[in-house]
Amino acid sequence: MVVPKLLLEITDLRKTVPGGRLLFDGLAMRLEAGELIAIMGESGVGKSTLLNLIAGLDVPDAGVVELDGVALAALDEDGLAALRRRRIGFVFQAFHILPHLTLAQNVGLPLALLRAAPAEVRARAIALLAAVGLAGRENDYPGQLSGGELQRVAIARALAHRPALILADEPTGNLDPETAARILALLIGQLREAGAGGLLVTHSDVAAACADRVLRLTATGLVEA
Amino acid sequence: MRRTLPLLGAALLMAAAPSGPPFRDVRPGVALVFPRDHGAHRDHRTEWWYVTGWLDGPGGTHRGFQITFFRTATGLRAASRSAFAPRQILFAHAALSDPAVGHLLIGERIAREGLGLARASTTDTDVRIDDWTMRRLPDGRFVAHVAGDGFALDVSFRPDQPVLAQGDGGYSRKGPDPRSASRYYSLPHLDVTGSVTRGGRTERVTGTAWLDREWSSSYLPAGGVGWDWTGLNLDDGSALMAFRIRRVNGASLWAGGSWRAADGNVTVLGPQDVVFVPRHRWRSPRTGALYPVDPVLRVRLPGGVRSLPLRPLFPDQELDGRKAGSPVYWEGAVTTPGGRGYLELTGYADRLRL
Amino acid sequence: MALDWRAVTVPRWMMMGEWRAHPVRIGTAIVAIAIGVALGFAVHLVNASALDRFARGLATVNGGADLRVEAAGGRGFGEQFYPRAASVAGVGAASPVVKLRAQLDARAIDLLGIDVLRAARVTPIIVPQPGPGHDATALLDPASLFLSRAALAGRHVGDAVSLVIDGRTQRFRLAGLVAGAGDRPLGIIDIAAAQDRFDRVGRIDRIDLKLARSADADHVRAALAAILPADAVLAGAEDDGSRTDALSRAYRVNLDMLALVALLTGAFLVYSAQALSIARRRPHFALLRVLGASRRLILAQLLAEGLILGVIGAAVGILLGFGLAAGVLRLVGGDLGSGYFGGDGTPPLLFAPGAALAFAGLGLIAALVGSLLPAYQAARIAPTVSLKTIGDAVDPRRRPPLAPAFVLAAIGIGFALLPAVRGVSLFGYGAVGLLLAAGIAAMPWLARILLAPLARGRSTSPVIQLAIGRLWGAPSQAAVALSGIVASVGLMIAMAVMVASFRGSVDDWLNQILSADLYLSAEGSTPLDKATRDRLTRATGVRRVDFASQRGITLSPGRPPVLLSVRDGDMPPAIGREISAPAGTIAVRVSEPAARLYHLTPSATLQLPLGSKPVRVFVTAIYRDYARQSGAITIDGRAYDRLTGDTARGEAAINLAPGADVAGTISALRRALPPSILDVVRIVPTRALKAQALAIFDRSFAITYGLELVAVLVGLAGVAATTSAQTIARTREFGMLRHLGVTRRQIVAMLGVEGALLGLVGGIAGIALGCGLAQILIHVVNPQSFNWTMETRWPVGLLAGVGAALVVSSALTAMLAGRRAVSTDAVRAVREDW
Repeated sequence: MVVPKLLLEITDLRKTVPGGRLLFDGLAMRLEAGELIAIMGESGVGKSTLLNLIAGLDVPDAGVVELDGVALAALDEDGLAALRRRRIGFVFQAFHILPHLTLAQNVGLPLALLRAAPAEVRARAIALLAAVGLAGRENDYPGQLSGGELQRVAIARALAHRPALILADEPTGNLDPETAARILALLIGQLREAGAGGLLVTHSDVAAACADRVLRLTATGLVEA
Repeated sequence: MRRTLPLLGAALLMAAAPSGPPFRDVRPGVALVFPRDHGAHRDHRTEWWYVTGWLDGPGGTHRGFQITFFRTATGLRAASRSAFAPRQILFAHAALSDPAVGHLLIGERIAREGLGLARASTTDTDVRIDDWTMRRLPDGRFVAHVAGDGFALDVSFRPDQPVLAQGDGGYSRKGPDPRSASRYYSLPHLDVTGSVTRGGRTERVTGTAWLDREWSSSYLPAGGVGWDWTGLNLDDGSALMAFRIRRVNGASLWAGGSWRAADGNVTVLGPQDVVFVPRHRWRSPRTGALYPVDPVLRVRLPGGVRSLPLRPLFPDQELDGRKAGSPVYWEGAVTTPGGRGYLELTGYADRLRL
Repeated sequence: MALDWRAVTVPRWMMMGEWRAHPVRIGTAIVAIAIGVALGFAVHLVNASALDRFARGLATVNGGADLRVEAAGGRGFGEQFYPRAASVAGVGAASPVVKLRAQLDARAIDLLGIDVLRAARVTPIIVPQPGPGHDATALLDPASLFLSRAALAGRHVGDAVSLVIDGRTQRFRLAGLVAGAGDRPLGIIDIAAAQDRFDRVGRIDRIDLKLARSADADHVRAALAAILPADAVLAGAEDDGSRTDALSRAYRVNLDMLALVALLTGAFLVYSAQALSIARRRPHFALLRVLGASRRLILAQLLAEGLILGVIGAAVGILLGFGLAAGVLRLVGGDLGSGYFGGDGTPPLLFAPGAALAFAGLGLIAALVGSLLPAYQAARIAPTVSLKTIGDAVDPRRRPPLAPAFVLAAIGIGFALLPAVRGVSLFGYGAVGLLLAAGIAAMPWLARILLAPLARGRSTSPVIQLAIGRLWGAPSQAAVALSGIVASVGLMIAMAVMVASFRGSVDDWLNQILSADLYLSAEGSTPLDKATRDRLTRATGVRRVDFASQRGITLSPGRPPVLLSVRDGDMPPAIGREISAPAGTIAVRVSEPAARLYHLTPSATLQLPLGSKPVRVFVTAIYRDYARQSGAITIDGRAYDRLTGDTARGEAAINLAPGADVAGTISALRRALPPSILDVVRIVPTRALKAQALAIFDRSFAITYGLELVAVLVGLAGVAATTSAQTIARTREFGMLRHLGVTRRQIVAMLGVEGALLGLVGGIAGIALGCGLAQILIHVVNPQSFNWTMETRWPVGLLAGVGAALVVSSALTAMLAGRRAVSTDAVRAVREDW
């Protein structure tokens, strides 16, 4: 029997916003390798903050975030950057594709940050662009793309360095429902294919329905929906 | 600021110095004695070692050159105990006539004799001003080193013919007054070997030259403003020297010369035997002086009057030494059918001071 | 260390992408550095070329040429060393000198025995000229003596002159003048005469050496040192060099400071260009940080960017500067038109690789420093997953800090109080730099203060509301745009106020010293005798004549001589305190430079070398003098006559009788002069002199005006660059506004108002700062560099003009940039997130 590997474990997490308002306290969750969890919740409840805490971009008031069994609190700034570089892929609501880089360069960015050989970076980017339906567009610039296409590039970028964990913050929030459905299917398909674990922050029930588990973030913590 | 040294060389060289202490006059009937007379004659006011000639370089280039050392006695300071006492002043001019340049490259030195930096031997030719030298070697050759603005000459001259005593056995009159005269001999047809350095490049040259040795205490006669002179080495081995002393109106005051045929027979030319017929005049852009740079020389020889048209290597061979306190004169390489030599035109820019 | 290309892939992508996308912005930054470096280098080159020529000129005057061998003791050294020194390889010419101190009447003069034939090649300036009736042989005659004008004291060529040396009197015939000796009382005789007649046979005191054209001074120096006798020393040209320095350092420092000012302005431009470029790309860097890029990577990328811009800009600048210098030398000559260095013709341009490297290095440093702060800020960005638009970090309600500005200003003012360092106003210039930095540091705060009344005002125009809101809400962005304006305007105004003040003070001074109607002067102080003076006084049309004369006296051996001005008429008007001399003392007034150089104040006493023994005089007042930087002392004519018995006068100030005609009086005065001196006497209306002096002044500062103009243009280029950069960065904002129904025209108008406000704020701040800096130039730098003071004049028209020009031009550039921004598709602009 294959014992699922534990990828992410959060225990007793507590976070207040600068104004002093408590976002959550005693928050706990576990994510296994290859598992996709959807996180839903009202606006302002702290979903993005949770992702920041998991990515090591923000510091909790209390509690532990462990990725691959390593507590983030034990890492310094450079260690956290290295961890993100190696283990985490990101998909953003607003795409965040660099306008002055080609699609291949945008997709290859995480690999290049890992100092992969340029030829390898390019080959991987072209393959991923093909996988997200943008075959042959590797030399185009983002200015020529629609919103849906931009998010495809973002998904390809999130997968470029074969991360163990993909953090997606409302990846379909800026898209019309039809495009959103297609992008979501693509994201989940690619995620499954790569065998990566995923945390999907979303408002969309459709999106949530595709996840292995759905958690709802409320003022009292994460509860299974 | 060199202009602050006002023509000192010219003044010393040409001044008649009537009120000065007595200098020895030259007299006829005194034999030339060698090597003694190759050396300096300190009791005479003025003296020069004057070499002019042609240099033939690789590739068929032809250039003219002049190396002159002057000595002049000031008559000052006979009783001085100072090593700097300015009894004798030495100065020297060098010029290179390169048609590729189109004007003369010149250099000059001037110093009072003494302290080993400037001297003129009285026993043989051995003249020095700082690094400029001219001397006679035991084998009879003369060697000279001079360096001017952007050029240097290292040359030796081998006499292939005997000394040519000018005038009456070396007594050469310059005017009606018998005291206005010089001791004068020439060495024509000198065989030149040596090198020319230009812009850091040295090239070997050969050629022919003419040495004039002259010393006097009273050179220019009263009424004379300058002279025309030429010395020509003719291809058959003969040599011609001719000069005339000019009045201010350009008329001849005196003239003379000599013709040594290839067989060694010498014809002495008197005032009636030499005529310079000017043809074109060239105006100097620097001094405004008008020089008859291509005269026809007519000389009366035993076989009749001979015409020698002179053609300069190029017109601008004016030696403008004003910056260094030297006189301005024209000293240029010339050719004539069947020979080549030098033409000297003095007293055209301003009259040589008298 | 092998470079791992894979490590630089991302920075390379980021840089290339940015440059491909925004070549104009990169170009602007490069041009900014290039202009700074080019101006700095060009001014320095012109300056160095002129100075080299000036130094050579002075070496000639001092008889020093390139090197000197001098006697260690008072009895000279053996003359046998002279031919040895002359024969050293690399020595082009050597001139032996016997140096004596002689008494001429009651005065001590330098008497030099020289070999004119040698001196003509080494120290031609001290070669005498035979006078009328003397031919060149007089130069060698042991009986000949030649005097400088300063030693002449009324003698004529042909006069018999007695010199006393060590109690021994020798008679000479005055055979001519030493025209080149200037103010120095100097006699020249032949070297042999000096040895024979003053018992110095075999000894000389000095050998002046001129190096051969290709010789290396150090080699020659070493070769000479190796053979030097024990009783001789090698005197460098440095001793003379220090004097050259003293004379020209102030002017040189002034010019080099202008060069640095240009460079500084360039540095600010780079800073603002880089700061804006980085601010605009902050989200990009945030993304990279989220994706796992280290801070070091971001910092390294931005510094590399700055380095590359700096290298290209500096290289372009050096080339540009060389070309500029060549052009300037051809057009206005080596002294930048000031006439300061004298001499004629154009000096050859010296390339100076060291200076090229230094200025290129400064440009590079400017680029790096300009990039460092924004790069550091960019690397410190706190990235978040949501990557929300990162706006102005400052909360508009919070007051920007003022403390750094205060600290900088306090240090600057402290610097202004420190004295000069070796005659150079280093701290003065330091104070200028610090106050400039303080002014820029205060910009965010000042922008807030200046905009506050506008922000409170309720404008009905949405355009103006939007514009003010923007500037009010993003003070640090506004400050970046402003710093370039403030820096260039501040420096320019400072120079302008200083020059205007200087010109005004010079004008006043000219009016004071040229209060008479006509001015008569005899060349070389040829004296006017008593009879001539009486005739002049009685000439038709003359109301009053005040005679005067002047000569140089040495108060301190290390300094150039001071001008002693003898005046029969009124003393020059005092600045500040004026006291009367105690009975029995001799009163003098000293010029401002003399007062500062010799630390004199009213009631001080000093010793003047007049006559056989020094005379103690009493300072009653200080007066202004812009003519003699080495100082002047004015003494009453009667007192001077009593002290010295020298009643000679060579100048006169003439007041006309009422109704007298200028031309008629001049001819009457000319008729009163003896024919022998007619050709050396000049009589000019003072109005012509004044006009001439002011024309010279304006020419001296022509280059300053030119540099100011360039500084302002560079500043405006900065405004254009920053506003256009900001405008482009705000495309999305404009798109949003258009969605809200704002017309294109209104957006352009809004930008125009913003630009005008920026220009206004920058102009007011820059002008205020410039006026402050001008006070430092006027009250610290000028007195310390030139030893003179001046009164501040405000060129109001210029100040207003600059302010208006700034407002208009920054509004125009902002609108031009804005037209581009609003012409892009508004819908896409909104969608495009960054």
